[in-house]
Amino acid sequence: MTGETTAAAKGRAAAQTGIKPHVYGRRRAKLQKGLVYGAAALTFAVLLFLIAYILVRGIPHLKPSLFAWTYNSDNVSMTPAIITTVQMTLLALLLAVPLGLFTAIYLNEYAKRGNKLVGIIRITTETLSGIPSIVYGLFGMLFFVTRLEWNYSLLSGAMTLAIMILPLIMRTAEEALMAVPDSFREGSFGLGAGRLRTVFRIVLPAAMPGILSGIILAIGRIVGETAALIFTAGTMAQIPTLFQSGRTLAIHMYVLSGEGLHMNEAYATAVVLLVVVLLMNALSALIARKLTKK
Amino acid sequence: MNENAARRTGGMKNLLEVVMHVVFLVCALASILAVALICIFLFANGLPAIREIGVLDFLTGTTWKPGNDIYGILPMVVGSIYITAGAIVLGVPVGLLTAIFMAFYCPKRLYGVLKPCTELLAGIPSIVYGFFGMVVIVPAVRNVAALCGADISGSSILSASILLGIMILPTIIGVSEAALRAVPRAYYEGAVAMGAAHERAVFTVMLPAAKSGVLAGIVLGIGRAVGETMAVIMVAGNQPRLTGNLLQGIRTLTANIVQEMGYASGLHREALIATGVVLFVFILLINLTFSVLKRRKDA
Amino acid sequence: MKKSVSLLLAGLMLCGALAGCGGSNDSYGANDAGNAGGDTATGASGAITVISREDGSGTRSAFVELTGVEDDNGDNTTVEAEIANKTDVVLTSVASNAKAIGYVSLGSLNDTVKAIQVDGVDATVENVKSGDYKLSRPFNIATKGVPTGVAADFLNFILSADGQAIVEEEGYIKVNDAAEAFTTDGSEGQIAVGGSSSVSPVMEKLIEAYQEANPKAKIELQTSDSTSGMTGAMDGTFAIGMASRELKDEEKTELTGTAIALDGIAVVVNPENTVANLTMDQIKGIYTGETTDWADVQ
Repeated sequence: MTGETTAAAKGRAAAQTGIKPHVYGRRRAKLQKGLVYGAAALTFAVLLFLIAYILVRGIPHLKPSLFAWTYNSDNVSMTPAIITTVQMTLLALLLAVPLGLFTAIYLNEYAKRGNKLVGIIRITTETLSGIPSIVYGLFGMLFFVTRLEWNYSLLSGAMTLAIMILPLIMRTAEEALMAVPDSFREGSFGLGAGRLRTVFRIVLPAAMPGILSGIILAIGRIVGETAALIFTAGTMAQIPTLFQSGRTLAIHMYVLSGEGLHMNEAYATAVVLLVVVLLMNALSALIARKLTKK
Repeated sequence: MNENAARRTGGMKNLLEVVMHVVFLVCALASILAVALICIFLFANGLPAIREIGVLDFLTGTTWKPGNDIYGILPMVVGSIYITAGAIVLGVPVGLLTAIFMAFYCPKRLYGVLKPCTELLAGIPSIVYGFFGMVVIVPAVRNVAALCGADISGSSILSASILLGIMILPTIIGVSEAALRAVPRAYYEGAVAMGAAHERAVFTVMLPAAKSGVLAGIVLGIGRAVGETMAVIMVAGNQPRLTGNLLQGIRTLTANIVQEMGYASGLHREALIATGVVLFVFILLINLTFSVLKRRKDA
Repeated sequence: MKKSVSLLLAGLMLCGALAGCGGSNDSYGANDAGNAGGDTATGASGAITVISREDGSGTRSAFVELTGVEDDNGDNTTVEAEIANKTDVVLTSVASNAKAIGYVSLGSLNDTVKAIQVDGVDATVENVKSGDYKLSRPFNIATKGVPTGVAADFLNFILSADGQAIVEEEGYIKVNDAAEAFTTDGSEGQIAVGGSSSVSPVMEKLIEAYQEANPKAKIELQTSDSTSGMTGAMDGTFAIGMASRELKDEEKTELTGTAIALDGIAVVVNPENTVANLTMDQIKGIYTGETTDWADVQ
């Protein structure tokens, strides 16, 4: 690792002192270019194959009855699941985004460098991000479902998910805030703006793309989550109120495929799931663009 | 950053500053509370079981037979390490290079298509990946192995590693790309102005400058790989026994928890929570290693 | 500098390796849709891929007991067995692997796999009913104490002629041929039913039909596994728990179990496999790991 560091330092030094390009080697540049293009091609080949696989298996089985307003065992409608997915995502984000973002702001903008608290929070959140969702599910079951007696419900599920995505949001937001050059802040302070104003008017807009990528990753995790929700939100196919059980699309798939009776419908659900993810991502991008412009 | 700068501006603003400062602090503390709750819950339920089974018997035992009260999780520890390492080895180089492509090589119009694609991938539920693995990767591994003369089922460490390698791609690409883009454009322009080729500017100036974010992406990727359950369970075979053969199946820590937690009771249940504790410590070690490495680099 | 060059080279090699895998994935994927097993196996010989279920599964519990894989020393399923945590995983694994063997509920059987004869008897509803097919288990529901209100009314419905007709329609075997028609007592309220995923599909139908007969009742269905269902019934989470096996002794002390249907367990192999019949002893040999090659069970 130190070797790499010195190499990097040398590279930077070289760039600064302006050693002529031919020393670097055209072959090496070509190799790197090849690697980059090769990796990208491979990634997108796999991605496209995967998406195509889902579409091919799912689209032929999409039929109107799958979108009936209420679910029964004959139509195995996914409408309640779609609505539950949106509810669950919004609720979890509503809880986790302000908390995660404010924590990141505290860590990066308010806390003094070298503060012990900062170190503790950073290590714990990094640790949290590695806890498997099944453990979150068990925690949610014991704490929200049993201890707080919320039973299997939308709220239990959303709280569990919020804790689960908290480190993700915090970590990405912090990275994004860190990447905003200090000159922005200094400029703002120099013009007489307070810290709060600087954070909300200058730093946050500049960090928005990074924060957004964290939120989109979080949406992905929520929408794709099964292990944590089975134990907290239950598997009822209905449009739930806050204290009722409901199933998201992923759980719907899990239940449909489980006994091998509705495999085709499960794949059709996967197609719809892709569309939902796409819509949610587009929506969050739109909102972020509006916020940044302001 | 100077605390007093804010205070000097005075009046209502000052009050708001103080209030928000407290709000931010409370939020930061709330996340610690969440962490603490989970830690307390995990350790309080898991440690007694470890003590009862015996630390050494638990960690280095090679037999897992809850029916006979034998709880050794070494096979699962090894399984998690193998599969995660495999996923990192396959997924990180590809993901990182793709992130570089997305940030510095991709034509704008193509980017508009590819970016939502990677985001889409992050939202595909793990069970879909699991099915994909079961009907595509597992038979592929079996058939390639058959060509080489090996008679295996295909549900193996290798299959799980390939699948997880694919699954962590969106995380690594997303976070690394954001980090690369966050490096001020001036770095790149400076390098090019001094005569560096595009590749050189990217690999020797931009990439090192973004390393903190890239590292964060890799840590998140490892987290996802270690913690993945629903997909791994479908392709890894889940046999709770030790093996060094990449073409044989193995059980991971997560698979162990998710398969048996539903019905376990008594010591068995606690042993499973203890499995979660081991997983937790595992992640802690990885993170500590990374932050030590990072600190050394920063110094 | 050297270090980073070597790192890059390592990366290149990995890319090459993965590209190889990716490529083969694509071609085999295309293959796979038509010919799931590949063309390498004949089915008559080769190492057997044993697929079992997880420990908490009612299907596994009944299977190991009936085949004798479980004896006084406990469950002797070979550690080499792959463990699937759901029925569909068993089905998909067997459908795509010419050398695999697994077992599923008769109600979940489909044409992607082949059910073999056990001791020369076909796995059919008739044979389970007559008792000729030995691999069968009851679907049980369990309540804590004497059920009241909606739970009691629903229980009556399940065991009535109407309820049992639904059981039969879904491909399971009735427990009571002489049941009477159902009339609701008009109970009101909401209860939760939960447990075995094997029982869930038929329970879902039963609930729908019951709610039609008694619109004032509302029943929630939560799907997990047999043991969770029993635990839930004991701690009061569920008014009625479901299990796809007999109740264990410690469960019987707290719960009252009622059989609502009989279900067969089909032993399934890949359609390409030429083996059509296994004796109970052969099945036991395969699942305990004594028999590891298809050539040995011809």
